[in-house]
Amino acid sequence: MSVDFESEFPLLGDVISRSLNRTTIPSTSISSGPPSTTIRATNFDGKTLYLRRKPATSARRKLAVATQGRHVGNLLEMPFHKMMEQLSEDKARELSRELDQPDHALAATVGSDSSLWVDRYRPRTFTDLMGNDRVAREALEWLKQWDKCVFGKTSQGKKRKRDGEEENYDVNDPHQRPKQRILLLSGPPGLAGYEVMEINARPIVDDRIRPTLETGYTVKSTKPVLIIIDEIDGATGAGDNSNTFVHKLVQLTQDKPQKKNRNQSGDKRTILRPIICICNDINASSLTKLRPHAAQLRFQKPADIHTVKRLREICAIEGLKAETRALSTLVAVAKGDLRGCLNTLQFIRSRNEEVTESVVRKSTKGMKEADNSVISALNSLFTPMSKKRAKELGLNDEAEARYVERLSHEIDACGKDSAVAVGCFSHYVTLRRHDANFSRYEKANEWLMTFDSFSSAMYNDGEFALSPYLAYTLVPFYPLFQERGAPRVERSQEDWDNLQLTKTNEEIYKSLNRCLQAASTRHGGDYRHLANWPILQLELAPFINRIISPQLRPINGQHVRPDERVLMNRLVDIMSNLELRFIQERLEDGQLTYRLDPSSDLALSRYAVRHLVAQEVDARVTSRHTDIVEKGTTGKHASFFRGAKGKSSSGDLADEDVLRPPPGKRPRTDAFVADDIADRPPTDFFGRLILASTDNKKSKSNARASNRSSTTNASTSPPKFNIAYKYKEGNSAAVRKPVKVSSFL
Amino acid sequence: MSLWVDQYRPRSLEDLHYHQELSTRLKSLASSGDFPHMLFYGPSGAGKKTRITCTLRQLFGPGVEKLKIDQRVFLSPSKRKLEINVVQSNFHIEITPSEAGNYDRVVIQELLKEIAQTQQVDLSAKQRFKVVIINEADSLSRDAQAALRRTMEKYMSNMRIILCANSTSRLIAPIKSRCLLMRVAAPSAEDMQTVMQHVSRRVGFDLPPDVASKIIDDSGGNLRKAILCLEALKMQSPDLSGSLTIAKPDWETYCQKVADLIISEQTPARVMEVRQKFYELLSHCIPPTVILKTVADRVVERVDEAIKADVMHWAAVYEVRMRTGSKKIYHLEAWVVKVMSLYKHFFYGMDFD
Repeated sequence: MSVDFESEFPLLGDVISRSLNRTTIPSTSISSGPPSTTIRATNFDGKTLYLRRKPATSARRKLAVATQGRHVGNLLEMPFHKMMEQLSEDKARELSRELDQPDHALAATVGSDSSLWVDRYRPRTFTDLMGNDRVAREALEWLKQWDKCVFGKTSQGKKRKRDGEEENYDVNDPHQRPKQRILLLSGPPGLAGYEVMEINARPIVDDRIRPTLETGYTVKSTKPVLIIIDEIDGATGAGDNSNTFVHKLVQLTQDKPQKKNRNQSGDKRTILRPIICICNDINASSLTKLRPHAAQLRFQKPADIHTVKRLREICAIEGLKAETRALSTLVAVAKGDLRGCLNTLQFIRSRNEEVTESVVRKSTKGMKEADNSVISALNSLFTPMSKKRAKELGLNDEAEARYVERLSHEIDACGKDSAVAVGCFSHYVTLRRHDANFSRYEKANEWLMTFDSFSSAMYNDGEFALSPYLAYTLVPFYPLFQERGAPRVERSQEDWDNLQLTKTNEEIYKSLNRCLQAASTRHGGDYRHLANWPILQLELAPFINRIISPQLRPINGQHVRPDERVLMNRLVDIMSNLELRFIQERLEDGQLTYRLDPSSDLALSRYAVRHLVAQEVDARVTSRHTDIVEKGTTGKHASFFRGAKGKSSSGDLADEDVLRPPPGKRPRTDAFVADDIADRPPTDFFGRLILASTDNKKSKSNARASNRSSTTNASTSPPKFNIAYKYKEGNSAAVRKPVKVSSFL
Repeated sequence: MSLWVDQYRPRSLEDLHYHQELSTRLKSLASSGDFPHMLFYGPSGAGKKTRITCTLRQLFGPGVEKLKIDQRVFLSPSKRKLEINVVQSNFHIEITPSEAGNYDRVVIQELLKEIAQTQQVDLSAKQRFKVVIINEADSLSRDAQAALRRTMEKYMSNMRIILCANSTSRLIAPIKSRCLLMRVAAPSAEDMQTVMQHVSRRVGFDLPPDVASKIIDDSGGNLRKAILCLEALKMQSPDLSGSLTIAKPDWETYCQKVADLIISEQTPARVMEVRQKFYELLSHCIPPTVILKTVADRVVERVDEAIKADVMHWAAVYEVRMRTGSKKIYHLEAWVVKVMSLYKHFFYGMDFD
């Protein structure tokens, strides 16, 4: 039938689609009219065709809707809404039939099969627990500590407050609760959750309610409550956001009892009930805030024998024939995941098979991988699979030799390809295998580079279609480097450390760059070409280090030879222009040193020399500051006395802004100057250096260099003292006018 | 007081010491009244930027030297703030769009449109147009270059663009074809000698020619580096006498040490050692391509004639891959292993065949 239909229908569609652009008559006649026995259609020649139609069954109609509905559109012989109705009716009928069926089936087979074995054999009491005795006991102990808080008062029931008995009690006895109010249980899946549910079911807890923690602090009920939060590592808590779940939870626990004393009727209540959190991964980023506040218990995988014993008991109850060997294989494959074992057993049972080793193998094919860390992936890359594990998985030699799929799967599963690559990179050189002509190393590097180009194409250019291949580029490390008995791979910090160091240095260069920008603003764009990125590191930084560390003799500032004085002046000029400073610091052993700020430096010059230079630089900076102050005041004077507002004063202020070093520097330098004012070289009233020699040279260089250090210029040449300073033509729009010294003395 | 590099930088086309024919050409271009878009390219430290500023001065007069530097803030499409330093005078503006990283297109578009749509205000200006200087044009992203090409045609009446790049290879063809290409070659040893003598005369001391030639040998045609080096030398030993050692930048000596390590021994332990050194260099923000090139140069100096070509060939291959990849250290190490293997094969060739 359907074949028939298929062969016929396309013809119709064909014809119609061809004629559609000319006339719409056929379509309307079909869609609107009642079902007729023929369909009329017109082809390109204008010929009318009549097509006979076979009586349609509902199944066929459905098919038509499903396959051709889009193409034919309104050409259906039956109105669309009717068709939908029919469909839904069919569906309903089908559903009701399905609903009926399982009841019969279940009743017919085994009534008890309706529940999962995992639920059915959940331990009911504390003594049912298997393995991890110590952990379980600790958990219980912790819970017992709450007893006084939770039950102590309920029995007496005095002095009830509005909020109920718990509160009352807490105010009187804040220390009766355990210090850590949250218990954090962690362990691989299939172990932890299983047992905690058990604790939960202990008779201590009269009532099991799991209130949503966002709404209530304590649930006001007469019966005590134990709160269990499962899968908390999946909670949203990773961000710094304050309204995340984990954050709220921590806040909840930290309400201080004494706060409570002050406002008894306050709306915030402390928690009086134990909270237990369960997670698989205790190191999950979302739990970082919770960890310090919680008592942590870690579950270990129980010994395989215990698990096998337990499984055998269950099999006996269920009437399932099981070999011990098969069961131990099952446990080994599942790596101790009891939940997984039980599910598998139930699955086998449902097919009415006996538990033999081959059956177990068949049914555990797709069992999840439990431990997928980067380290484990690396270890399986660099060491062949152990004989024991191979046996557990039931692989023969041939299957074991086929490694590509297994390893690529493992790398994929751990989800951090780049971390695995870094691990491979840092580990392969440490291996001892003899490699005379480096051929293996070459190959390894070849693959690493392939990995790198793939991943950068992925992340930089968005070619995410490449991601399935990534894992395969790392697999070749196995044939190249695998070795029995090789040392275990350890996490290498090298790459990470290097990254951090790079970031620090980048910051230093950035601040140096800022200094250069500032200097170039002051000097009409002089330093700007040096501040570009590669030039800064490659050319400027190494040479500036040398330029600012000349060989000076460490002597008092006043007893210097003239040529040294020239050197010193130039050094101080450069350093103050670039805003480089020597900062005094105390080393760990108590020794004083001068550190160059902001730069990593090579400690070329001696302490005493640096001391000298630092003083001079500070003095220079201070003198520049006094300049600014003077200018600022004259600006104000001018505007005050002569009414020349606006232009001059605003210009001065702008200058001041430009000249001032970044905030945070100034207080420090000032404090430093104030510190050892005693052994500073002599200065005049304004804090400027009195320079004995090299006047000509200095004034000449000053005239070239800076527009604003002209006060220094004036001070070094006393004869011209009647004019304090004048504005030089620079790039500022300041007004030039002579000012008497007496006006601001 | 500025460093000598800036202090004695030539300000006008007449002051330039070398590439005289280039200077005359620039002069005639500037006076012709039909000034095109330009692309200056050449190795680092050859004098591209100096020539650009000189040309500007020729075009507009000394007014271009009144510079004003400020920081402009642009908004990226994702509303991130990008801070760009802009140097400008009344007649021109100078930007380094690579400061904005991936968002350089935004900067280029906004800034150029803004400049191009305003006419020259100063009526007494020599030229009707303004000039935009774009530094590090070869690190412009493809998008930014594409954005540039339309602007260059549309606003020709108001604006000229001068690009400055190290090589033209990373610029797209449409841009190159819209510009007049100006190659600024590295100065020859004699040119550098004259410049350095000039600088020392201006500073006021005598520079012995042999010292100068030592510095020049070391600088590899980079005049900026040479002058910086001269200043450092002068600071270290003011009288320039006695046995002078021309100090190289630390990273260069470090790279040479790495090369020596590679040559002297070829073992896994040595690979490890070299890797440490590479990490050290990378963490000091030395560009990996520069590291590879410097080390390779040194290695080639020291190995036998027969494998020199191979060493260089592989350095080139790995540098290309390094540019496409993101983990630079992989590629550096791969090259080291390759070179070690080549070296071993060469020495013990008989054993392996």
